[in-house]
Amino acid sequence: MRFNWDNIDRRWIFLMMGLTVAGPILWQLAFPEIPTPYARSVFDAIEKLQPGDKVLVAFDYDPASEAELGPMATDFVHHCCEKKVKMYFISLWPVGPVMVQDAIRNIIEADYPQMVYGQDYVNLGYKSGYEGVIKVIVTDLRSLYPTDTRGSSIDQIPMCRDVKNIQSMKLIIDVSAGYAGAKEWTQYAAVPYADKMKLVTGSTGVQSPQLFPYLPDQMAGLLGGIKGAAEYEKLVNEKYSGPTPAPKYQEALRRMGPQLFAHLLMIGLIIAGNVIYFTQRRRGGRTR
Amino acid sequence: MKRIVPLLIAAMAGYVLVASRFIPLAEKWGEVEAIWFDVLAAIAFVLGGGSLLKLHLRKISDRTTGWGYSAITLAAFLGTLYVGVAKTGARPSQEQEFYGQSFAPLTMDDLPPSLTYRVPGSIPMRADGEPLPLGVQRQLSQGSGDIVFRGWMSTKQEADLSDYKDELAWRCTVEKLFDTAQPPAALKGKVSYLADYSRLGFRGYMTDADHEALLKLGSNGPFVAAVEALWTASRLETEVPVEKLPAGFSIPAASRTYLSYDEATHKLGIRGPMSTALRDELARDHFPLVRPMTAEQRAAFVNNLESHGGKLSELQAQTLDAALAKAWSIDGLQFALNEAGHAVPAEKSACELYQEQQSRKSGSATAPKTAAPKPEPDVKLNDRQRAAIGEFVRERTETVDDLAARLKAAGPFTANQKSALQEFFGKVPTVGEQKLNACIDLLRIGPLTREQRDFLRNDYREQSQWRRTVGDLFVKAHKVKYPWSGQYNSPGSWFGWAYEYVFKPCTATIFSLLAFYVASAAFRAFRAKNVEALLLLGTAFIILLSQTFAGYWLTSWLPSDPQQNLLAWLRMENLKILIMRVFTTAGTRAIMIGIALGIASTSIKIMLGQDRSYVGRD
Repeated sequence: MRFNWDNIDRRWIFLMMGLTVAGPILWQLAFPEIPTPYARSVFDAIEKLQPGDKVLVAFDYDPASEAELGPMATDFVHHCCEKKVKMYFISLWPVGPVMVQDAIRNIIEADYPQMVYGQDYVNLGYKSGYEGVIKVIVTDLRSLYPTDTRGSSIDQIPMCRDVKNIQSMKLIIDVSAGYAGAKEWTQYAAVPYADKMKLVTGSTGVQSPQLFPYLPDQMAGLLGGIKGAAEYEKLVNEKYSGPTPAPKYQEALRRMGPQLFAHLLMIGLIIAGNVIYFTQRRRGGRTR
Repeated sequence: MKRIVPLLIAAMAGYVLVASRFIPLAEKWGEVEAIWFDVLAAIAFVLGGGSLLKLHLRKISDRTTGWGYSAITLAAFLGTLYVGVAKTGARPSQEQEFYGQSFAPLTMDDLPPSLTYRVPGSIPMRADGEPLPLGVQRQLSQGSGDIVFRGWMSTKQEADLSDYKDELAWRCTVEKLFDTAQPPAALKGKVSYLADYSRLGFRGYMTDADHEALLKLGSNGPFVAAVEALWTASRLETEVPVEKLPAGFSIPAASRTYLSYDEATHKLGIRGPMSTALRDELARDHFPLVRPMTAEQRAAFVNNLESHGGKLSELQAQTLDAALAKAWSIDGLQFALNEAGHAVPAEKSACELYQEQQSRKSGSATAPKTAAPKPEPDVKLNDRQRAAIGEFVRERTETVDDLAARLKAAGPFTANQKSALQEFFGKVPTVGEQKLNACIDLLRIGPLTREQRDFLRNDYREQSQWRRTVGDLFVKAHKVKYPWSGQYNSPGSWFGWAYEYVFKPCTATIFSLLAFYVASAAFRAFRAKNVEALLLLGTAFIILLSQTFAGYWLTSWLPSDPQQNLLAWLRMENLKILIMRVFTTAGTRAIMIGIALGIASTSIKIMLGQDRSYVGRD
């Protein structure tokens, strides 16, 4: 490998990025967060819920985006547990139920053992059909979900007995990594039944710009990427986690350290690239 | 024809969806179509799998470039398919295993007549057309003016049935039916009939008396065969070797008929299956529970630990003292027992309430009014009982059962209080667990010598070894009832393992590579070659900075409220919001509206048969 700024080997850039990301992780660097109105609107939408209110929690993501969406999924469940609402987990992605199972095991079973499966939360699992699933369950939940993921009949689950369709939910929380996800929940559930339920979403940074047009009328709140998650996490921790929150409730804040340095490196590289470009142009050399 | 059928299907599907959106009566059509879509999607999965097989098999067969990757893809596909479908390594679902019970197959038709119970009345219809709860549908029927129930009714079934219709008359009928549809007193709590599984169940070990009582219920062949099968299953002997018995171990008096320990062979044995309650009791009861310690006792413990090695640091000594001080308190226990001693107000039964309602309706002044059962008086701990608790803490050798016996001997002590006592101590850690936790806390802040570590861990090791022995006996004595009932991706299954350790890290790694390529691309391609590129560059800088604390820090000196000072818009977080709300939203909205119009026009063309490109060429 040869280090030459004019024609730098890409492996140097990879090395720089690796070190930039690894440093803050190893030294556990964390920085303060100042919640924006977007994170605050998500927090407020969940804060307004009363104990016992029904909330549909859709985990529409997979391990590829777990690093970005996992922390906000954790924070959503943490917040819902603190609000003592009834959670109906669902997924439009095939590996979504595993994400749900992780959240149940790491948060509900670990920190809220008093919550009972079937009474306080239920995992309805995955159904194929993308937005078709949403279209059906907004009017008839049982035709697509006769059982939960454990195979128990939905009629045998106390918290499902009086749920004919998801119109009885006070809020839909969607953690979305793409299609099918936040956009579909907005178009097929939140908009046609706007008088009955609200929708808040957490999405990847890449997907967020496509969802901004829905704010704030069709979508009550949006967390964009790990930054949105960190802001929301701060709000939840401030209110519910005491002075020293458990490490699992600080994952988003922890991931902001690598993000800060990676972004600074990117800015530095862009500047360096342009300096080289203009220098070469001034010299009349070949520019790429 | 090959083209017309798919065209017609697509057009019809389109018309139905449009109708279901705008015509309330046709709303259901859309749902049915969505379910059909689900069925088609399942077929598509199969076709997709077939296509994948065909493609990669051909690559392997032709030895084209990269055929090795195809082989890996195929192996992974087939392997995942197999372990997922066969549920390899997946444990049976705990809800379906009915631990501590033995099962024998017995269909509803083979139930003896003595297990058919009747009460006068009729099954009501609900106004909303809701059917009877699923859990009772098979056992409940209407027959010549009576409500007929076959098998024994569980409390859950009673609750479900009672909730079916919110009327006192119905609740009273269900109450009567529940009281009637119960096994004989000698078998109560032991036998059950699970109609959904077509199984006769028996809990624990079956005695000769239980056997006789069961046989008296019926004489038809299948029933007798089921009882005999239960008799055999519930008396099967299981043994496991014991490495070391806990100090002072003895078989609980109530379990001596079926639980045994052979001192000659050092084997722990059980007849019949073991319940989870017995397993937990056996695993924990012989290890001393943590008791509150005085400051002197804690100091002595610290000295004892230091005598097993070096001196603890000041922080370690404080941490250990805090860990030892973290125990239950006598006041807490007394409070829990006094609370449990409060009399529970007795409630009237549904039939009593119904009788009163009827009396009120008939307006009869002399109608009998049922009085609510008189509540028991409150029971509070007396001085002798409080002294017994104090002694329990000081003596440190008594068990919880001993304490319960002493409390009962010292004054009034209700069943509720006994349950509260057991519940209270069920959450108290054992001394071994307390010492292990202290060891972990100490190691987090400094080193310990090997002797010190052993001193803190040995009790727990012994407890853990015994728990494993009891666990082995529990597993060995249990006959798996539904091996395929577990989830294919449950922790420990092959699929779960592949997901956790192969799929998850691989997909996360691929996604993470994006950061490296984006960095390289940004360096090489993000050049301010013209005004448009400059605008894009500026926006990228703002977004990149505003997504981190650096952006906030760089512009934190500016005023923060844009409503009061226009300079506040220059703060990074406000600039980001401005860009997102105005420019991004406007741009995205325009694109979305364009796409929507495009979808609408394409859909209309498809529905009218004008666009046929999606069915391919003939």
